Amino acid sequence: MKTTMTLVLLAACAVAAPAIASGPAELPRDLPPYAADKPLPVPQIERRTLDNGLEVWVVPRDGVPRVDYVLAVRNAGHGADPADAPGFAGLLAGMLTEGTARRDSREIAEAAQSYGGSVGASASNDGVLVYADALAVHAGPMLGLLAEIVRGPVFPDDEVVLAKANALQSLKAMQAQPSFRASRELLAATYGDHPYARTQFTEESIAAVTPEGLRKAHALRFRPDRALLVVTGRVEPEEAFRLARSAFGEWKAQGPTLAPAPAAPREATPARVLVQRGGSVQATLRLGRPAIAATDEDYVPAILTGTILGGGFSSRVNQNLREDKGYTYGASAGFSTSRMGGRVQAGADVRNEVTGAALEEFFSEFRRLAEEPVPEQELLDNKRYVAGGYLISNQLQRSVASTLASNWLVGLPADFLSGYVPRIQQVDAEQIRDIARKYFDPKDLSIIVVGDAAAIEDQLGAYGEFRKVE
Amino acid sequence: MKSLLAGVLPWLLAAAPAFASDGDRWEIPVAVKKLDNGLTVVVSEDRSSPVVGVSVVYGIGMRLEPRNRTGFAHLFEHLMFEGSENAPEGTFDRVITGGGGRNNGSTRPDFTNYIEVAPSSALEPILWLEADRMRMLDFNPATLKNQQDVVKEEIRVNVQNQPYGGFMWLDIGFQAFEKWENNHDGYGSFEDLEAATLDDVRAFHRDYYGPNNAVLGLAGDISPEEGFALAEKYFGGIPARPVPPAPDFSEGLNTQEKRLVQADKLAQVPAVAIAWKMPGRGSPDQPAMSVLGALLANGDASRLYQGLVKGRELALTVDGLYGLTSEWEYNGPTLFTVFALYKPDSDGHAIVRAVDEEIARIVAEGVDDATLARTKTALLADWYNGMEPFISRADTLAKLQLLWGDAGVANRIPGWIEAVTSEDVQRAARTYLVASNRTVIDRVPEAQLAARRVDAPQAE
Repeated sequence: MKTTMTLVLLAACAVAAPAIASGPAELPRDLPPYAADKPLPVPQIERRTLDNGLEVWVVPRDGVPRVDYVLAVRNAGHGADPADAPGFAGLLAGMLTEGTARRDSREIAEAAQSYGGSVGASASNDGVLVYADALAVHAGPMLGLLAEIVRGPVFPDDEVVLAKANALQSLKAMQAQPSFRASRELLAATYGDHPYARTQFTEESIAAVTPEGLRKAHALRFRPDRALLVVTGRVEPEEAFRLARSAFGEWKAQGPTLAPAPAAPREATPARVLVQRGGSVQATLRLGRPAIAATDEDYVPAILTGTILGGGFSSRVNQNLREDKGYTYGASAGFSTSRMGGRVQAGADVRNEVTGAALEEFFSEFRRLAEEPVPEQELLDNKRYVAGGYLISNQLQRSVASTLASNWLVGLPADFLSGYVPRIQQVDAEQIRDIARKYFDPKDLSIIVVGDAAAIEDQLGAYGEFRKVE
Repeated sequence: MKSLLAGVLPWLLAAAPAFASDGDRWEIPVAVKKLDNGLTVVVSEDRSSPVVGVSVVYGIGMRLEPRNRTGFAHLFEHLMFEGSENAPEGTFDRVITGGGGRNNGSTRPDFTNYIEVAPSSALEPILWLEADRMRMLDFNPATLKNQQDVVKEEIRVNVQNQPYGGFMWLDIGFQAFEKWENNHDGYGSFEDLEAATLDDVRAFHRDYYGPNNAVLGLAGDISPEEGFALAEKYFGGIPARPVPPAPDFSEGLNTQEKRLVQADKLAQVPAVAIAWKMPGRGSPDQPAMSVLGALLANGDASRLYQGLVKGRELALTVDGLYGLTSEWEYNGPTLFTVFALYKPDSDGHAIVRAVDEEIARIVAEGVDDATLARTKTALLADWYNGMEPFISRADTLAKLQLLWGDAGVANRIPGWIEAVTSEDVQRAARTYLVASNRTVIDRVPEAQLAARRVDAPQAE
């Protein structure tokens, strides 16, 4: 709701250059030039490993009077969810704050509030991230609370019953959103039977959750020898290590563990799916295919390619579909990467009458990027945009912590954070063209449309036979 | 690191309900200067990162748009990105993103803000661009048509094609307020949007986008001296322009409750919004309302989360909203709104009753010391967190300067929060969170509403 009336969504990562015309227009005569770039700041990461295998990284900062913690647990996310339990890791993460042997859910919430912060967890493909933050004066007690919910959640029966009832209603609420429906179909078309396709609940998977199942999953998945604690903020490294030892030193890995998820597919048969949504005044378009893991050698040029094509306001698809054609409030495209694989996705929500025309513009931008080398100025502008994104994120201590933890989850080394900008600067136009050819070839892309079939179906004929889903 | 010594203080002071030791306090540097043309400049230096946040906030929002042009202030915001005579369409975004920056804009009842964050190497071109579009736009029929289309898509994607259609911030205001300035649709009707002309655009820019109706905020890798000098260099030559006098859009509290039920074509789960008119900006009750709002609806420890999501198990979610902004960023009638998704076996009346019980408890018993202390601690932390990103710091300071006439309010709000007592919270609850000052919209999925009407034809 906070995005009401906003013009440009800042969330995405990406770009520059009026990509519609053949080259950028002349800049205004009086416009002052950019000043010389300052050296890229590099976060100083102090690293230790506790005897139980838990890695602890500390990045001291002296800004806002706050300390941020992110605990990443590898192989605890959707990649570990069984085929009959889609979305399970999300509920497992959410239930960590619903009770321990010492505190019930209310006491956990009140303790976090009294430290001037919050504690919570979420699941990704490759793990669970548990977050906590507190005013710096409460750094110790907050880490104690974080350790308590990570090590000893009890999954009380009544809380599990309530969480299931609420998850079921939330699922209904989300299914009313066209983007959620589109996402489910696109993930299935991209990943097939791989667990990365199973990040959304179903009514059946919610019904199947039990306190016992949650306890078993917690025991299997939460282990110090595959966890990383990142600490950023107003805390000295030695103090942070002392707090970490005190909170987690006695945590022991026990019993059998899980095998990691298998590699995700690199190819998929392109699907055509039309999700019927009566009365819809827009068509929600999503295009995608499997692509690469974060550790793939194509990853760095892929970041830049995604930026140029659809990473932000000045990206090619947004300039074309929004600023030139007025078809949409926003169009995007780019890569999403995990540990065992990844995917590309492009999309926009457009008015019904231009459904077919909008698809054509996406494909034409994909072809253009695969055929014509990106002009030098556009390439340079986009490299600066990526570098700027690094600087802007680096100002925020929580962002540093969560990026380090997320990179670690997908298998990237600690120095990837400060090293990728110089690597981006080495990428050339030929590499961009190769990435576009490999991953944005229109013939390999699935097309998912959520909308009112009666209003848009006749525009889809050129793209093949669409399977209809209610 | 300055906090290590102070860290022991909370224990020493444990007997008192105090929450803010020195180590919790964070004084934000604020320097203010007004240029001869009336542009006010606020600078907050922070050299921790080679990045700078920029915000240009204009004293024009949805309240003062022309009567037959609903949605015009927001459409105009879009046109501010579409080029000037000196910098053709595309230049603005290209220069900012090519400099490594991000930008955004938003339209609210009392202001329209334009924000950027970028490596400090891009600051001068950004200021040049902001000054350029303050001076003159490219009044061009093609970009007007293009942005009319884009805004219609924005309304489709955020309102018409979304379950709930934003009723908790749009419809609730249409119902709660008396005067047109406050109760019309700021997103606008398609008819009014399509009727907008280039003459409207010219007049709006001339009347409301002069330097004397704006505040420039800068935060991060810049000193006040540098900031003031750059402001003078790029904005100093723009003449002041007369701003039309604003009508009186003030309103008192409501004296009779309004309740209605709306059918929702797209939603699958019912929702309710309960809104009360707030005290005026600068009222002594404002900090108490802030604490009361947080006590009721800020996070999992709040009374309504614990009482309705947990406890009575009626609701799925409970959120507290302050109109389209925050409890500190308004300058006219605004609302405190509780928005909840609730379970299909309940209804809006049951939610209102439960909320009333929680409010009545506060009125009768006040708030115990521990709860009050942690509610205030969380509010203080939230306030600091909002100030961490340079883009938000520049923007918040510029908005406070515009709305309060004093960006230094940023450093007084923590003290105001700290000073709120249980009696203050009770008084705010008694004065504002009463049925007569309340507007309720029960938003029900169409099919469920039809079933409910069969079951209970007397439903309001």
